[in-house]
Parts: sequence; structure tokens; C-alpha cells
Amino acid sequence: MAFLKVKNVTREIFNNNGQYLKIIDDINFSVVDGEFLSLIGPSGCGKTTLLRVISGLDNPEKGEVTLAGEKIVKPSVSRGYVFQHGSLYPWETIRQNISSGIQVVQGKNFNQKLVDYFIEVMGLQGFEDAYPNQVSGGMAQRAALARSLVLNPQLLLLDEPMGALDAFTRVDVQNIIYKIWQEKKTTMILVTHDIDEAIYLSQRILVMTPHPGRVKEIVKNDLPFPRKRDSSEFLDTRKKLQQILNFK
Amino acid sequence: MGNSKQAILNRKYWKRWSLNWNVLSILAVVVALVENLLVTSSESVDNGPYRIFLLVFMFYLLFVYLVGSFFNLRVKFYSGHFAQLNLSLGILLCIQDLLTEKFGTLALPYFVSFAQILEQIRYDAVLLLESMISSLILWLISFVIGTLIGVVLGILLGRYRQFNYWSFPYLKVIGIIPAAAWMPLTMVVFPNSFLAEVFLIVLSVWFPVAFMTIGGVQSILPTYFEAAYTLGFNEHKIIQKVVIPGALPNIFTGIFTSLGLSFTMLVISEMIGAKVGLGWYINWAKSTGNYSQLYAAIVIMALLFSIIFALINKIQEKALRWRRTAS
Ligand SMILES: Nc1ncnc2c1ncn2[C@@H]1O[C@H](COP(=O)(O)OP(=O)(O)OP(=O)(O)O)[C@@H](O)[C@H]1O
Ligand SMILES: [Mg+2]
Repeated sequence: MAFLKVKNVTREIFNNNGQYLKIIDDINFSVVDGEFLSLIGPSGCGKTTLLRVISGLDNPEKGEVTLAGEKIVKPSVSRGYVFQHGSLYPWETIRQNISSGIQVVQGKNFNQKLVDYFIEVMGLQGFEDAYPNQVSGGMAQRAALARSLVLNPQLLLLDEPMGALDAFTRVDVQNIIYKIWQEKKTTMILVTHDIDEAIYLSQRILVMTPHPGRVKEIVKNDLPFPRKRDSSEFLDTRKKLQQILNFK
Repeated sequence: MGNSKQAILNRKYWKRWSLNWNVLSILAVVVALVENLLVTSSESVDNGPYRIFLLVFMFYLLFVYLVGSFFNLRVKFYSGHFAQLNLSLGILLCIQDLLTEKFGTLALPYFVSFAQILEQIRYDAVLLLESMISSLILWLISFVIGTLIGVVLGILLGRYRQFNYWSFPYLKVIGIIPAAAWMPLTMVVFPNSFLAEVFLIVLSVWFPVAFMTIGGVQSILPTYFEAAYTLGFNEHKIIQKVVIPGALPNIFTGIFTSLGLSFTMLVISEMIGAKVGLGWYINWAKSTGNYSQLYAAIVIMALLFSIIFALINKIQEKALRWRRTAS
């Protein structure tokens, strides 16, 4: 059953110099319920642009995106979005940030327990009352993840949530995302630069090429979970992806 | 724990504590007192209030020094930091006393000794207190109204293009006119002078606040709004949880900008129309030619306005504590 359908999506703009630019061109793919899909491709190939169209933050000039049959025209709480760069509110504490969405949706008596649960899962205990600029980048990114997850979205869009993290923290957050996906079976689309990350987490990997952004190939990734980063199958998949990425 | 507290105190009170400066600062006040007692005066002034002031000042310094040395680390850093400044204050008090009252180098009626000012404040205490209270009430009402109007207009102008398009050009023209220019008209149009004064002060306050607020709203990162949409915020929540806190640093800048303007307008409008207030008191002093009354009013104003400034500063510090990074 196709859950999310991206049909002929094209995004074109006039940039600041008045030039006409096609950012992404005729993108087609679909995602089934509960699936984990990764988007990889070189910087500037339109990954963020595509993700924003799926969330409804931007509307495509051509084509459409449907979720469970309904056309997406604007953002919604049922589609979580973790931004590439810090989007936590600097004027709210970590706890207030994580609660901010659920508090608006559920009102004053929102589910505190769920907030506590995610604070614990993300390893943020002891930093609940700190402000974002007082915690590490890794913690801030985990808090942003928690802020989306407490809303229990149907679809979670992740725009390089580990992009700014060091190798150790990166693996931590990857494992948290993996664990949550296993438990909740939330459909996830992850944008990443990191091939290993894509192989470790996702069931299919969509490779994009730039200028304009197009789908090059969708690679199936059938390795059994949990995956071992040093298994020979893992390394084979990585080789295959590298070939696709390097092939002009 | 103790070390981190010391580190914080060290940053705020960065001058090193030293016994010498503490002793010297107390000594300077003693010298000022002894000088006032011993040197003969060329003017007839009741030095009572001044001597009491110096005694209180001296005992305060002694108290702070003793508490700091033996009981409280915070007070110690505080007294250490300000000892040199207090020393300079003691010396200045002594010099002004000699130049005015004692030797008459700077003579009456235009130059008045601090002792004379204090005596004037004591003599006029009730009237000055009444004037101060009525000025404070007038200022508070007007400033709150002006700030609220400024913030609300600033948010509307900063967030809604249509509203900005239709009203900002007109508001800009009105806002740029100095409030004092309206004075002759307001004194006639309003039913009483209090309302006229409120109007004038509000007029001097709202525009800087509105102008800074617009900038604040427009400088909020687009990502914060986009995050709000994906988190299910409606417009009301966006204003409450994104726009206002995001613009708050600029709102405070606007408030501090208009603070000085509001004090100016307060005094001017009281001078022209009122029968109460510090501005009126100064005007009255002018008509009787009593300059020590003028100085008395200025000293009271300096006190009042400094306290207001410090309070708003404290409020800002609390409201924007999220901007402080980890210490
Ligand atoms: N609003 C815009 N105005 C002008 N150019 C834009 C705009 N949005 C995107 N672009 C351009 O479109 C291209 C794709 O941008 P996008 O942010 O989607 O890339 P990306 O794949 O997410 O890159 P990265 O991996 O660096 O995040 C870039 O070249 C970018 O400069
Ligand atoms: Mg991107």
C-alpha cells in the first residue's frame, strides 16, 4: 500500500539575480506505511527542497504530494519535521521546547509523562531547565527530535539531524532514531550526507543528482536489522552506492 | 561550588578587594566631615542634614567593610569593587564644600553647596515628596500606555504586510514629529492638564518602541515560524510563543530609547501646564529665584530616574536570561 506518493514534483524559482532556476525536476516515488527511506546526494541537489515540499512548507510548481490519498498543501502536526539547522526556540528551556507542540495540541493538561519519557530516551535528564544555547549541539538536536516525536506524527521528516554532530554523538542519535522507528513504526524520511548512516537505518535509499535535482536511482537495502556496520553485506551496499554517486 | 561562585562574583566585581582602599574610602568621608565642622563658612547654611548624611555614609561604608570582611563574600567583593569610587566621592564632597560654602569661589545664588541642597530638601520635604509622587504617577501611567501602544503597533506592523502597507507611512510621519511640537494644541484641546500631559508623554514614547519592535519581529529567523507551523501553532500561539519573545530584545532597546524622551517630556509638560509635579516645582523655584530649590528638585529627579532605570534594567535581565550562555 502506498502511503506517501510524490508525483511529478518540480520546484522552480527565480533566484536573487532574476535567473530562472529549476531546483528539482519531475521527482516520482512512493513510500509505504512504516517504511524508512533515506535521501542522499551531493550538497545542493535539492534534498531540503524536496523534504519541504513533502512537509507542505513549500508548494511545488508542478506535480503533487499525497499522504494517504490526501493532497498536501500546508504543514501539519501529523507530519513532523526536524530542521537541518537549529530550530529550537532559544527563549524556551529544553523542557518547554519539547512540550511546546504537544501543549498547543492538547492544551494545558497535556501529557507530561510523554514529555518526561522522551527527555529520558534522549538522555536529556538534568538539562530540562537549561536554555538551548547552554547545551551541546548534540543535545539540542536530540531535543528538536523529541519535540517532533512527542506529537506522535504519522510521518517524520528528518533533514540531516546528525549533520552537525561529531562521530560519537552521531552514532548515539542514529541508535535513538533506530530504536524509535522499531518501537513505533513511524514512517520516516531521512536526508543525509552520510552513506553509512543511510545504510544503517533505511530500507530503501533514494539517490539524487544535482542541477536540476532528479532521482537517479532507488536502491533497496534488505539487510536484516539490527545492522552491523562492519559486515561484508554492509560494505557491499556501500560500494554499490558509491558507484552510483560517482557515476556521471 | 565555592569556586564557581567566586568566579561569577569576580566577573561582576572585577576590582580586587584591598584593605587600603576600604580604609581610605572611609577616611575620605571622615575628612569631609571634619573639614565641614572646622573650616569656617562664608555663607550661612544649616549644615545639619549634610553632616547627618556624611555620618550615615561613613557608617554605611564601615558596615559594608566589616560585614564583607567577616561574614559575607558577596558583600566583600562589592565593597572591594566600589572602594575606589567611594573614595573619589568623599574627595569630591570635600572639594565642593570648600569651593562653595566655605571659600565662596563658586558663590550664591547660582552655585549652591551640597549641604544647602540637603537643607532645602529637608525644608521642603513634604512638598517635594508630593511632587515626586505625582510626577511618578503621571510618568508610570503614560509610559505603560505608550509602551503598550508601541509594542502592539510594532507587532502588527512587523507581522502583517497589509497593515504595514496602509498605516506605516502615516504613522511614520506622525511618529517622527517631536511630541513637544503638539504642546500648544494639547493644552487647549484636552479637558484637563493631566490628560494633556499623559498624551504628550505617550506621544514621545510609542514611536521608538514601535520602530524597534518592527525590526525585532522582522529579524526573527524564518525557521522559527516554520517550526511553529509543523508543531501545530495557530496565529495566536505564534504571536505569543514566537513573535513576542523573539522581538523582546529589540522591544527593550526601544523602551530604553524612549525612557530618556519620556523623562524630558514629563518635566517639560509639567513646567508648562501643571500645578503639581517636579517640573512644576522647578518652574515655581524659577519664579521665586531660589536656585537651591532647583538643585533640590534635580537631586530628587536624579534619584527617581536612576531607580526607574535600574528597575527596568532588572526586568530586562530577567526577561532575557535565555541569552546568557552557560557560565
Ligand atoms: N529560495 C531559494 N532561492 C534561491 N535558491 C534556492 C532557494 N532554495 C534553494 N535554492 C537552491 O537550490 C539548490 C538546492 O537547495 P537545497 O537546500 O534543497 O539543497 P540540499 O540538497 O538540501 O543541500 P545541502 O545538502 O547542502 O543541505 C541549491 O543550489 C540552492 O542554492
Ligand atoms: Mg539541505
